[in-house]
Amino acid sequence: MQINFGGREIALKLVYYGPALSGKTTNLRSLHELTVDGARGRLMTLETKDDRTLFFDMLPLALRAEPDKSGHAGMTLRIKIFTVPGQVTHASTRRLVLQGADAVAFVADSQIGETEHNAASFLDLRQNLKELGIALRDMPVVIQFNKRDLANIRSDHEIETLARRGKEPVFTAVAVNGQGVLETFFGLLDIAWRKLDGQHRLAQMLGIESNELLPMAAKQLGLSVAIPKLLASSVAGSLERYFQVVR
Amino acid sequence: MIGQAHDAREAVVFDSIVPIEELVERDGLRELCQSFHALFGIGVRLYSVDGTLLAAAATDQELCLEIGTTPVGHRACTATIAEVVGHDPGSASEVVIPCFTGAAYYVAAIDYDGRRVGRLIVGPYVPVQTTSVPSTFGDAVPNFDVTRANALLTKMPHAKPETIRRIGGHLKSALDLILFSGHKAHMTSKMHLASVRESYRELADKNERLQEAFDRLKELDRLKSQFLATVSHELRTPLTSIIGYSEMLVQGLVGEMKPDQIEFVRTIHDKGEQLVKLIMGLLDLGKLESGTMRVIMRPTRLEPILAEVVSTMTPAARKKGVRLELGLGESSALPELQGDSERLRQVFLNLVENAIKFTPSGGEVTLRADVAPMDGGGANDAQEDGLSVLAPTLLPVEVRVSDTGIGIPRAERQRVFDAFYQVDSSSTREHGGTGLGLAIVKRLVDAHAGTVRIEDGQPTGTVFVVSLQQAGSSIHG
Repeated sequence: MQINFGGREIALKLVYYGPALSGKTTNLRSLHELTVDGARGRLMTLETKDDRTLFFDMLPLALRAEPDKSGHAGMTLRIKIFTVPGQVTHASTRRLVLQGADAVAFVADSQIGETEHNAASFLDLRQNLKELGIALRDMPVVIQFNKRDLANIRSDHEIETLARRGKEPVFTAVAVNGQGVLETFFGLLDIAWRKLDGQHRLAQMLGIESNELLPMAAKQLGLSVAIPKLLASSVAGSLERYFQVVR
Repeated sequence: MIGQAHDAREAVVFDSIVPIEELVERDGLRELCQSFHALFGIGVRLYSVDGTLLAAAATDQELCLEIGTTPVGHRACTATIAEVVGHDPGSASEVVIPCFTGAAYYVAAIDYDGRRVGRLIVGPYVPVQTTSVPSTFGDAVPNFDVTRANALLTKMPHAKPETIRRIGGHLKSALDLILFSGHKAHMTSKMHLASVRESYRELADKNERLQEAFDRLKELDRLKSQFLATVSHELRTPLTSIIGYSEMLVQGLVGEMKPDQIEFVRTIHDKGEQLVKLIMGLLDLGKLESGTMRVIMRPTRLEPILAEVVSTMTPAARKKGVRLELGLGESSALPELQGDSERLRQVFLNLVENAIKFTPSGGEVTLRADVAPMDGGGANDAQEDGLSVLAPTLLPVEVRVSDTGIGIPRAERQRVFDAFYQVDSSSTREHGGTGLGLAIVKRLVDAHAGTVRIEDGQPTGTVFVVSLQQAGSSIHG
């Protein structure tokens, strides 16, 4: 996170991590399609010919706080959402993109055959964070089980059990048609915001109440969704429990 | 700023504010302005957020030129321009600034990525409903002829406010695209560089770790060789006594023994000799590996060495029922070599001993020496690279030790020269030996700047080919 008092900006960096072809870029594309122009910038994708992410994808969001009572322009909360290239060979690029991340959405592939790749990628995340001097337990992480529409996937029951046992909030998604994408994003924003707001009193800087950020983001992104309903869709109440555990 | 100060690596600042000037190509911007100007006939100017003119395309209007000729007119004109250029449209993002002539300027903010990066100015143009200069015109330029001014005003480009807004809108979207493309290229190149740097750092790190491990292993290897040499030496001393005393017993120096006793003591003596040989081998290997073995290079003839080897090994061959033959070069005499005759004797002794060991009864072991043929005769591939410049000035002498034994599979041919290695470890007992003989051969030949390789025997068996440089040949290491 960066705070630029002169430019009246706070910048957050959210990173979508995960194995190759698990749907990280698809999450960003869907998020781009589901939101409206204005607060949301252009989606920047750096791809090779075969549609694989080369360095990263980036979707910038700029949320503006209302001017204060004396008419001074409010601060801007800039959120940059990045994806990393999933292919094993791009390890150093993943580490570079991960630098300075405030929270990570780990996009796992639900197919049973991909289980090992999910695990390997998660260990890679932990290793890369470690090399950046960050312990995984200090990094807010949400997990998304994507591709719920495919055959031969880990069952709902299995994922519920896993979500109950694990620490991270878990969401399910079919990113290709937008299902679960907003839920994951707001879950991610929620855990990142609560942690950073707790540490740096960001809400105060923005001149809002802590619990106003998510509705403000939804409004500026042109979404008519109920935030509590989105957040309540975490598997087996894993998001609520995350805050109880983390607190 | 809250970042990762502890991270010594150069951070890629993805959120740095890049000035518009760095993202776009000025010539391209000027072309863009020119195309808009050519299309609508109205001047277009682009400024960065700090007021630097980035590009412009405009034609001077006659009215403006004539007003500018008088000091008063010039001052009034400059004031208007200053206001237009210095005006930030604020949150409204666009504003129309009137000129005292009745013309107007359209100023619009250029925002990118949620930040203000510059502004564009379209004008001067005359709003369509304006047909004459305003009544205040005389206040600004008192001596200018109003009729003349009205006439010149009609010559200026006229436009509806919505047309101007549309022009501004088009220009803004074109600019947005250019900025986005520039930004993307900027990020890509930055990321590319950072990735290369990161990969390099990673590799350098790994190399350093490998080098450390390598140094450690080398040190361990040296210690091992030293240990081997010390232990061998210490073992040899008591063994010499065992052999000496058993010899004296057999010779009856301390009284007659019964035949059975003599047989037992002989066995003690023979086994003692066997042990000495093994220890000598270890000692040699240790010396060779630690580089403490002295190899005295002097002009040496190969024939007597080979003849001695054959005569030494003939009893052993006969005992096993193997025929041992020596064949010397087609030419009458072999050229002199540069070498240590004692060490060379050891090389061929080991090779012949090895050949006899692995040749069944009724087989044959041949020792042949000749100058290598000019075509290399199946030399190693490594020797063929750059052969024309790397070949020694004189052809090497090749000694071939062939047997009709079990042969060595191709895959094993490099490893047989490793110390203690046995092709078939289960045959250790059957054939005896420690796996040291060939290791010593390889190291001794290396010490002579020669090579040793293995070829297939015809029709079966193995051929060890030792290639040694002639005396006086320039040798390439």
